[in-house]
Amino acid sequence: MGFTSGIVMGAIFGVAVMFGWSYMMSYRRTKRVAKAMVIKQLASLNRDDLRKICGDSFPDWISFPVYEQAKWMNKQLSKLWPFVADAATMVIKESVEPLLEEYRPPGITSLKFSKLSLGTVAPKIEGIRVQSHKKGQVIMDIDFRWGGNPSIVLGVKAAVVANLPIQLKDLQVFTVIRVVFQLAEEIPCISAVVVSLLTEPKPKIDYTLKAVGGSLTAIPGISDMIDDTVNTIVTDMLQWPHRIVVPLGGIPVDTSELELKPQGELLVTVVRANDLKNMEMIGKSDPYVVLYVRPLFKVKTRVIENNLNPVWNQTFNLIAEDKETQSIIIEVFDRDIGQDKKLGTAKLPLIELEAETEKEYELRLLPSLDMMKIKDKKDRGTVMLKVRYHHFNNEEQLAALEEEKRILEERKKLKEAGVIGSTMDALDGAASLVGSGVGMVGTGIGAGVGFVGSGLGAVGSGLSKAGKFMGRTITGQSGRKSGTATPVTSENGSSKPHQQ
Amino acid sequence: MGFFSTILGFCGFGVGISMGLGIGYYLFIYLQPSDVEDPEIRPLIEQDTETLRRMLPEIPLWVKNPDYDRMDWLNKFLALMWPNLDKAICKTAENIAKPIIAEQIPKYKIDSVEFEKLTLGTLPPTFQGMKVYVTEEKELIMEPFIKWAGNPNITIAAKAFGLKATVQLVDLQVFASPRITLKPLVPSFPCFAKIYVSLMEKPHVDFGLKLVGADLMSIPGLYRFVQEIVKDQVANMYLWPKTLEVQIMDPTKALKRPVGILNVKVIRAMKLKKKDLLGASDPYVKMKLADDKLTSKKTSVKHKNLNPEWNEEFSLVVKDPSTQVGQFNVYDWEQVGKHDKMGLSSVPLKDLIPEEPKEMTLNLLKTMDPNDPQNDKPRGQLVVELTYKPFKEDEMPRGFEETQTVQKAPEGTPAGGGLLVVIVHEAEDLDGKYHTNPYGKLTFRGEERKTKVVKKTRDPRWEEEFQFMLEEEPTNEKMLLEVISTSSRNLLHPKETLGYINVGLADVVNNKRINEKYHLIDSKNGRIQIELQWRTSS
Repeated sequence: MGFTSGIVMGAIFGVAVMFGWSYMMSYRRTKRVAKAMVIKQLASLNRDDLRKICGDSFPDWISFPVYEQAKWMNKQLSKLWPFVADAATMVIKESVEPLLEEYRPPGITSLKFSKLSLGTVAPKIEGIRVQSHKKGQVIMDIDFRWGGNPSIVLGVKAAVVANLPIQLKDLQVFTVIRVVFQLAEEIPCISAVVVSLLTEPKPKIDYTLKAVGGSLTAIPGISDMIDDTVNTIVTDMLQWPHRIVVPLGGIPVDTSELELKPQGELLVTVVRANDLKNMEMIGKSDPYVVLYVRPLFKVKTRVIENNLNPVWNQTFNLIAEDKETQSIIIEVFDRDIGQDKKLGTAKLPLIELEAETEKEYELRLLPSLDMMKIKDKKDRGTVMLKVRYHHFNNEEQLAALEEEKRILEERKKLKEAGVIGSTMDALDGAASLVGSGVGMVGTGIGAGVGFVGSGLGAVGSGLSKAGKFMGRTITGQSGRKSGTATPVTSENGSSKPHQQ
Repeated sequence: MGFFSTILGFCGFGVGISMGLGIGYYLFIYLQPSDVEDPEIRPLIEQDTETLRRMLPEIPLWVKNPDYDRMDWLNKFLALMWPNLDKAICKTAENIAKPIIAEQIPKYKIDSVEFEKLTLGTLPPTFQGMKVYVTEEKELIMEPFIKWAGNPNITIAAKAFGLKATVQLVDLQVFASPRITLKPLVPSFPCFAKIYVSLMEKPHVDFGLKLVGADLMSIPGLYRFVQEIVKDQVANMYLWPKTLEVQIMDPTKALKRPVGILNVKVIRAMKLKKKDLLGASDPYVKMKLADDKLTSKKTSVKHKNLNPEWNEEFSLVVKDPSTQVGQFNVYDWEQVGKHDKMGLSSVPLKDLIPEEPKEMTLNLLKTMDPNDPQNDKPRGQLVVELTYKPFKEDEMPRGFEETQTVQKAPEGTPAGGGLLVVIVHEAEDLDGKYHTNPYGKLTFRGEERKTKVVKKTRDPRWEEEFQFMLEEEPTNEKMLLEVISTSSRNLLHPKETLGYINVGLADVVNNKRINEKYHLIDSKNGRIQIELQWRTSS
């Protein structure tokens, strides 16, 4: 009797203990989970959340800008800066010098740093934004501002002048740097980093050039040339969608996914222009059109003489790498003896296009693409285009990629053979046809002569004068360049073979 | 009878309790799922006041304190990266643990021990604020507040004698605010040589430890006990001022301290090319080590001589014998105008054997580029004798460790006296009326010392060191430090005082070392940072 009741009592007691224990377990577990939830939620707050938590005692010093501030980082950076500046000097020298060589404008035989120090003012990180559009990729946008006092002296050697040190002063860089991290499943978890500058807001890189112990006029047009070189490097290498891909330590990874590659093809027909401005004293303008998506690959139409409402009806193929952000830039020029004049320019963002449908666009010509610079509202006429966007499938993409490589390879060969001075020569060959029209006139003056950065939208009247002058100075010396330096542009106006 | 029944009752109770525990375990623990499910997170805006009240103690520090910075961008970054990070960490941990386990198993007669589950969960660590401290020293100090309330599931299963036992770690929570100090700062990437980590408070640790499904930590009292032990253990190791030191790079290498001396004897040159129009050239040799900012050394000028003999000796300070290159430039001296280059040559220091003099005959070249066709032309030869003498370990100039504390005075310091070291670091917000090309001028006991001029800047950095050997302690003395701007162009005002300070030296004698920023007198906002050290032989 006692035994049975003992068993029953014991069993009840045992079960009760176990129940108590499991109750404690679940109690503590709920508490822990609740806490984890709270901490997770507090890790990313927005204004409404905080208002709900704090109620009336909302702290005044807190704001929620799109780009989150990182004051602590600036404090640390300014302290660290003297050391970073020292360390970076070597790295910059090694990485930028080949780049300058690659993009070196014609007429200059060597472009090197003779002095490089980054100054005492540290850059500021104005804000940081983190987002993710794609699984396995994290995008970090860094609002970067540097109004520094670096001392950079470029040793410029030109054909006419032995060596001219040029100082870059008051460098200011304001831009949003986009860093894309490609994630991996092995330490350090990042397989590749993609660096690029956002187009919106447009990167602002300002500096003044000063010749040391001499005058900038010693080489005419030199400052514009350096401007152009810097501009081209920035727009054609760094500005989104162009990017630099850096694979990170140890993990073999396919970065081709991250590289910029041809995404689609544009079939553009330049139909006509209306009511163009008359630029000539006698008669009317002789207009022609230059089209490009990337300044590296430009195409142009034939010249129609003495006509303010020209009809071209010429068709070109252009390659688009990123439909989301790229645009077709259309520039109308008046062919003139010496320096060609720009009649106007227009931009057609690719995002407006629908794939596989041809559409007609009538675009108003503007004096400049930079809206801030446009002062007059004079009518400059319109240009009419028919555009069809074809999205590449994989095979076509590969073919286009090969083709692009081939063209760049060809230019490199020409460069090695000494026909053109640098990869930029070929580019400028195209630009100079556009800018100066020397090659077009058929006077037999080389195409690599013109230094006009018209393709970069930097043509001011003063500059075009300098360019003209420059063209003449160098002409005699660069005779060997004539003719051959224009691998890009040919009369049929296509930088790529038609693929139909 | 009653006695027996009580005994039986106790026996029955004993049997019953084990049965009851068994049944209870089976019902309440064994049948419960042991998986860790992902918690569902509702937006904060929808939460009720009850939840909100629970949140109050956890409000991030950046909300409460203006001196903490928000790091939500980093939280977001970490959250996006967490799934990958989780896998990577777990994989690495497993790879490290496996061989260790395999080695240990045979000792304990266990069949196998393996990770049944290993994941750090879906919740990443979060930063609830970041605070940085700015001091005058060359170091970076930051204090992030890290809270990790994760839902990891680490299950280890051990098999022995056909039975399986599992230990499961769940719901790990660690809250800590480590102080991370990066020092010393060095001029090569990543720009710091060591990381010091220490905890400012005892960290908060909480977790659930399930032994065969039952959470030991929920036994009343045990949790508190274990938590205290863990806290104390961690605190013993890393609670400030105890630190964890992680070396990133060798600071002596990064700082590029001198490691030896290169003795150079310039003997003669032969068959130099004529540069002057009238008569022979007037050659002299300039030498330096590549990438060195020090000024180069020069021999005397031998007038009108194309085969000059110098036989002059020089010594150059070597910082990195493996990469540095000795450069020799032969110039033609001119009375007027620029001196012409007659040719140059270089010797990589790695070609030299330490302590062994080596006579070399160098062909002079036009440029450093070996493939330059201009170098084919003979430009004469230069004969030099080079000896590289590395410092012995004990005569190595002060190592890095000593730079932070005050080192001993050199030998020969009079007893009772010492060495007063003044390091002029930098100044800021200087404002000259006519020009701002500042340099510092020290005046002490009538002795004047000057720093270099830094051109056109309001915030110069000098980093220059001056030493004064003293017979007795300068307790009652003062040192005058002026900041002066000079300009050669402005003829009306070639010199301008930007401000000055008078520093009493009694404090230095007492403190051995003072590193402070002072406001300049006679300046609007100008400040100057100087470091004073008093080194005595004792």
